[in-house]
Amino acid sequence: MPQIPMQAQQFLDALVSAPPLEGYLVVGAILFAIGTWGALIRRNAVVIFMCVELMINGVNLTLVAFADYLPNAGGLGVSYAVLVIAIAAAEIAVGLAIVLAVFRSRRTVNVDEVTAMRG
Amino acid sequence: MTGQAFIALLPELISTGFLILVLMVGVFSDSNVGISASLAAIGTLAVFASAAVLLASGFSGSFFGDGFVVDGFALYFKLIVAGSAFFAVLAAARWADQTGDAPEYLTLILSVVLGSTLLVSMRDLFGIFLAIELATIPSYAMVAFDRSRRESAEGGMKYLITGVIASSVLLYGIVLIYGVSGSAMLSDVADTFTGTLTPVAVLGLVLMVSGFAFKLSAAPFHFWTPDAYQGAPTSAAAFLSVGPKAATFAILLRILLEGMPGAAPTWTAVMAFLAIITMFVGNLFALRQRNVRRMLAYSSVAHSGYILAAFAALQGGGVAFAVQAVLIYTAAYAVMNMGAFLVIDLVGEDAKSFNGLVRTNPGVAASMALFMAALVGIPPLSGFFGKLWIIIAGAPTGSILVYIVVGALVVNTVLSVPYYFGIIRNMLFEEPTTDTVTSKGSGAVRFSVYVLAVLTTLFGLLIIPLSALVGASGLA
Repeated sequence: MPQIPMQAQQFLDALVSAPPLEGYLVVGAILFAIGTWGALIRRNAVVIFMCVELMINGVNLTLVAFADYLPNAGGLGVSYAVLVIAIAAAEIAVGLAIVLAVFRSRRTVNVDEVTAMRG
Repeated sequence: MTGQAFIALLPELISTGFLILVLMVGVFSDSNVGISASLAAIGTLAVFASAAVLLASGFSGSFFGDGFVVDGFALYFKLIVAGSAFFAVLAAARWADQTGDAPEYLTLILSVVLGSTLLVSMRDLFGIFLAIELATIPSYAMVAFDRSRRESAEGGMKYLITGVIASSVLLYGIVLIYGVSGSAMLSDVADTFTGTLTPVAVLGLVLMVSGFAFKLSAAPFHFWTPDAYQGAPTSAAAFLSVGPKAATFAILLRILLEGMPGAAPTWTAVMAFLAIITMFVGNLFALRQRNVRRMLAYSSVAHSGYILAAFAALQGGGVAFAVQAVLIYTAAYAVMNMGAFLVIDLVGEDAKSFNGLVRTNPGVAASMALFMAALVGIPPLSGFFGKLWIIIAGAPTGSILVYIVVGALVVNTVLSVPYYFGIIRNMLFEEPTTDTVTSKGSGAVRFSVYVLAVLTTLFGLLIIPLSALVGASGLA
């Protein structure tokens, strides 16, 4: 059996060991930021919903990471995460129905063109 | 579940039961508006009665691992939610009959009632989020429900998009607070939020308050309000602007007072800032409106600002009075704003349709004049007591910022006079333009308008003793 080089072994150890909490939080925050940015600049209602999903998943990642690392959480956070997934699904279900209703009357889902009411 | 917990959950269990019943009526019967509307009306009245009995018997306690609390404060807001839902059902019945989807629409109203009554009893941040969503998701559908008007779906889409973004912001705030405190229970959060806050705690607080500001249509997060309320069916706009909003104010008050009393200097400053912008934005935009429904939407933004002014006074010697001010103002606003929206249902949403109403329909005109005067805050009508209590609460705080907020409240009351009294002027001095309005509107709506007019007038005698009782037994 060939000898594994020292640096390669360290790299493998780092891969299999648990990453620090901060890693998850940063990834979650980046997901949330990308989602927020997209939801603010995109004009297609369906794409906005996809961006909101990204925001919610960023939050969910943060939640699960906290639940795993906090000493007193007792796994409760993970069950909250399941409920959050269900809520996100419900929001999108109602949302797509409303977007369909808008599309049926106007033939567009571009939020800039849906402007009968102003002021 | 013990027997006690069953009793504590009585309003929620009743609304769940009637929700299922009304939905099943829609499934099994086609010509059903009479049955489903009377079931929904009985259901909201039963929720109201159960909360009233619990309040009268002095029932209180916390259940389900301290996550669900029943006290005078929570029951008082359940009364407001169920009462306003009753009038919304009366207003919805005839309209929903024309669309052919009465049971579905009434089910949505009942599920908003369920979410809002749960919300005011929650003591766990994730439970609060769940209950808010339970009340909000059906309300998107309610706003977009009127398929005969294009504005309805448009208002629903605008409300929905801002609403789901706000929900994720709120949830991120809650998750950060959970991460900082290690628990989502308000009592555990209170241990963390004392002294100097860590940056993550401040971020969590700011995100959570921004999410709530969206839900409460506080400026600068108010822009969905006018479109949603103008597009929505009148019963939806009337109910959503008073019932769930009162519940959201209640739970924000509970979070801040029970969960973060140590951080009061931080959040009272945020609330003062929000209150001042919200009052000015609401009133200045309302002045420009010709559509009465849109005007009332901006006026509801302004009234959110007045209630947030009470939140700014939650410090020093003002706490007890400020809690009572929130109790009084939400009830006062529910009565007068519900009435004004129901009059729109009878008369029409264009300012011109109010011309000469005093000659064609004196009873409705007199009620509308009462509601408008109450929204300005003329004594002894309901709105006056709300504003009076905020000023009383602001006085003993001794904070310059609170004095500025109270000053802004007085300035805004004067600012709001032209657009409320413009309606009264139209009704008194203009010639009637088109056919009279007597043919429009059902007897039930007319009856509700008169009941609400009487409640607005006698508000001081009825609600103030009740809120004093609740303020003594509840939160503060």
